[in-house]
Amino acid sequence: MTMSDWNRVTRPIPVPNEWTKPFWESARRGVLALQRCQACKHFQHPPYATCVRCMAIDLAFEPVSGKGAIYAYTIMYHAGDKRFAAAIPYASIIVELDDAPGALLAANLLEAPYTEAKVGRRVEVVFEPLNDDITLPQFRLARDKQ
Amino acid sequence: MWENRCKVAVSGVGFSRVTRSAEIPLAAHALAAVKGAVEDSGLALSDIDGLATYPELPATGHAMVDGITIVSVNCMMAMLKLPNLAWHVQVETVNIGGAVQQAVNALLAGVCRYAVVWRAMHNPKGTYQNLPGAQAQGAAQFTAPYGFGGPGQGMAVAYTRWLERHGQSREKMATLAVTQRRHSHKNPHAYFCGQPLTREDYLNSRMVAYPFCLYDCDIPVQGAVAIVLTTAARARDLRPRPAYIAGYGQRLAFEVAGRIGSLSSYMEGGRSSSRLTWERSGFSPKDVDVAQIYDGFSASVIYGLESYGFCKEGEALDFIQDGRMELDGELPLNTFGGSLSTGRIHGLWHIIEGALQASGRAGERQVEDVNVSFVGASAPIVQGTTFIFVREPY
Repeated sequence: MTMSDWNRVTRPIPVPNEWTKPFWESARRGVLALQRCQACKHFQHPPYATCVRCMAIDLAFEPVSGKGAIYAYTIMYHAGDKRFAAAIPYASIIVELDDAPGALLAANLLEAPYTEAKVGRRVEVVFEPLNDDITLPQFRLARDKQ
Repeated sequence: MWENRCKVAVSGVGFSRVTRSAEIPLAAHALAAVKGAVEDSGLALSDIDGLATYPELPATGHAMVDGITIVSVNCMMAMLKLPNLAWHVQVETVNIGGAVQQAVNALLAGVCRYAVVWRAMHNPKGTYQNLPGAQAQGAAQFTAPYGFGGPGQGMAVAYTRWLERHGQSREKMATLAVTQRRHSHKNPHAYFCGQPLTREDYLNSRMVAYPFCLYDCDIPVQGAVAIVLTTAARARDLRPRPAYIAGYGQRLAFEVAGRIGSLSSYMEGGRSSSRLTWERSGFSPKDVDVAQIYDGFSASVIYGLESYGFCKEGEALDFIQDGRMELDGELPLNTFGGSLSTGRIHGLWHIIEGALQASGRAGERQVEDVNVSFVGASAPIVQGTTFIFVREPY
């Protein structure tokens, strides 16, 4: 059995701040939205005060398709944090979205054995509610032919 | 070339005892290392008029207690009560290499004459890396909920990308761990001095954060090391042969949330820092006789070898094979054992070894005919600094 057991994991709850609030509000509605420069149209993540490409300050959150590829990953075996011990070994992945090249999102690979995590593999966003306020964007292997 | 090349030198070096856990306060380790370095130079404490350090504790989720978990400049000042203190700095970025570079600048500016730089590292009780509590604030809000904790995982992601893009295998890294361990048997200060490590030990060791197994990670220890820096003219009047600083560079970069580094950032950081060092010194990788490259996690050596220009991208794990990193090899590497064998003291020990090799003071592990000695003192991305030491000023 190589599926990670996430049911017994208690995840730290993200605390939105003035820059990140729209990201979490969108996620709660089941929409993945990233910060986008309104001047040069560059997507970036995590959110910053300015555009990391052109330094403009006119930034807004815009929906993205949620389809992308695994940019990199690690399989966690060490049970240093007891809250995650039940899921070990588990895949923590970095996803690069088709719509937002260069904007890298951390996630877990869900609904698949951790051995399925490979660089370049196609993934799509799914949403994991943590409580009434916070829903985590997560990823699973892409189901439709892309 | 840099007009200030070879105008500042490393003189004395000092080491505290390195223990697995805290038996005495960290301040006592730092004091022993600093006194050792001053004595090695043949100086008195009253000669020291400059102090610099980078006091960070890399373990997350622990209380900062000065003298116990860190040793700040303030703490060192209180212990030494230097009558002639004229300059001090505590850097927050570019790691301990940045503190050394600040001391070089202060000496060039003429605001102090003999500067001491130390790095003291604490090993806290309990879990080294604690994820945030029930709530994840700041950059951690995008990483901690997914179980991304300490830098081990953060650096492992770039390693999987490197391995799979270049069709490489992690088993080749055994050569690095085993060779460095063998080097450390000639370094009496190293934590693992005298404890053998075989290829089989490496290949059979438990996985921590794939692709990192236990022996890809430096062991947390309690200890400190220190150096005395001074101008070249003054250094020539001191007891040790000087190791002249021919050039240095630095670069700080982070592009992913939290403590996760992307492979492209590692490469860009290493290229930027080393380019400054090559340009300032006038040397190139083919001129280097011996290299120390930061190895808090083994893969940092890959990023270093490639981004500094010692080999092509994707080739570092092949480059270190066939005896090339041995003491008599083409590029003797981490000749003091590296952090993997000394224990986690960060990059000042790499700088010390680079200086000792340049000045011919590395004892049993001295590489023959060294003139150009290269140091990459921290992971190229996060807080990258690079140095070149030479035996002969030019």
